[in-house]
Amino acid sequence: MSNVTQIILRALQLECESCSFRAWQSMPELTKKRDWQLSPSAFRELLRWLDQGTDSEGQTFLEMRGRLVAYFDRKGCPVPDDLADDTLNRIARRLQEEGEIETEAPAKYCYIMARFVFLESLRTQSKKESLRSQIPPEASQGDRNERETRERMLDCLDQCTGKLDVAQRELILSYYVGREKVKIENRRRLAQSLGITMNALSIRACRIRDKLEECVLRCVEAK
Amino acid sequence: MMSDPNYDEQTIKRYLLGVLSEVETERLDELSIADDGFADALSAAEKELVDSYVQGELSDDDLAKFKSHYLASAVRRKRVDFAKALQFFGERAGRASVAAIRETPTAAAGKKGWFSGLLTLPPVLQWGFATVAIVLVIAGGLLLLQNIRLRQQITQTQARRDELQQRELELQRQLENQRTANASIEQELARVREESARLEEQLRSGKSQPLTGAIASIILTPQLRGAGQIKTVTISPNTERVAIQLQLEPNEYSTYSVALIDQSSGQSVWRSGRVKATGPGDRKSLTVRFSAALLHSGTYRMQVSVIPPNGAAEVVSEYPFKVLR
Repeated sequence: MSNVTQIILRALQLECESCSFRAWQSMPELTKKRDWQLSPSAFRELLRWLDQGTDSEGQTFLEMRGRLVAYFDRKGCPVPDDLADDTLNRIARRLQEEGEIETEAPAKYCYIMARFVFLESLRTQSKKESLRSQIPPEASQGDRNERETRERMLDCLDQCTGKLDVAQRELILSYYVGREKVKIENRRRLAQSLGITMNALSIRACRIRDKLEECVLRCVEAK
Repeated sequence: MMSDPNYDEQTIKRYLLGVLSEVETERLDELSIADDGFADALSAAEKELVDSYVQGELSDDDLAKFKSHYLASAVRRKRVDFAKALQFFGERAGRASVAAIRETPTAAAGKKGWFSGLLTLPPVLQWGFATVAIVLVIAGGLLLLQNIRLRQQITQTQARRDELQQRELELQRQLENQRTANASIEQELARVREESARLEEQLRSGKSQPLTGAIASIILTPQLRGAGQIKTVTISPNTERVAIQLQLEPNEYSTYSVALIDQSSGQSVWRSGRVKATGPGDRKSLTVRFSAALLHSGTYRMQVSVIPPNGAAEVVSEYPFKVLR
């Protein structure tokens, strides 16, 4: 078992109970299924199923979880992380119970399960309770609060960019230079200098930015 | 994993702003989880959208939707906060590197006991050192004055350069608008001439039969992230001409040449002359027309090359498609 898989397993063992608990709290009529807990062997089986014969060292799982969180967030769910975990837990449970899941592709099955979880959450939660109506956009933060958040983020950005390797740091700082036409021209030159297409550059910058964003948000929360 | 070529940047943007129909939203929901290519495209488009908001580049309509839909989620508000911080950080990093270049190295502080050591030297040497010190102080003062003058000149030159760059951008914008207008007029003129020549030919040959053949119009978008199945085009027997619109990725070129390549043989079966891109800003496209008789059932690709003012043609994009007859 790779290091990444072991780390995920440990984190999951620690987080599993609390996140499942939060998810189930928001779906009271499903409490019958709460008895089932994601065990290390069920989790390993889930990783194997998602990888489909290759060993991604947990990367496919993390990628899929990220996509599910983003999906539930776009659907306006107040606890997207919990619903994403719930989706993956249900798949792991089915894998454990039935040994195999017949599907065109694991990612497609993940969507089917996610949609089911979403519709179920809609039935149990009134739309009026959604975050959309509870928090008016941008109105909840005052200028001072925003300045403080900005300062904290900048400190964290300093720390997190320091953790990137030199090439990644240079790429991410150069990628966002300029605006409109100047920005496009800058990116074209950058892609040329790296010998890659604009699309490849965009994907590379995107991945670095995701990594940086994750590090910064974690750092801000810790402060 | 499945792929669907039927999405573009505009559709993804509308999806993120929550203005697509329910059916279309559901389709893209599925792609966002099940299609690697779409997931990458969505992630990139979301960052571009957030950056556009942060930099005040959204239209009024999009801005209203962004505020009412996108900012409704706490997760996405954090993403916007991060984008603001990243932009500020990037600008600050840029300023800092400029300041580091401008900054002159400062002299290291003298070591302790250096001056008291001098006092232990013989008087002749003490006077000698004192004279050298006075000369150095005067020379240092002159250098300092010169340095200040140079810094002032640099500041003025930079201000002038910034003005010129601004002016250059403005002129480039005007030139681009003019080129776009010219290209449209040229294309229209070419079309009218072609039509006129065709009618003249019909009159000369006495065959004034009406045209029965149809024109097949196809729009091809650049392949996103290299993923996805290729577009399939069905050519009916009465189709005489094929018109293909190729949507370009943003670049600085305005003149292109296009070749139609048969994938099975790798041979070019048709080649255009110089074609001007049309359309606004970064949504330019090329339109080419050729005889439908050139296409048989099989796979082809449209190969777009740029023609730099001084240099050989260079391939910039390829648009594969499948033909069914």
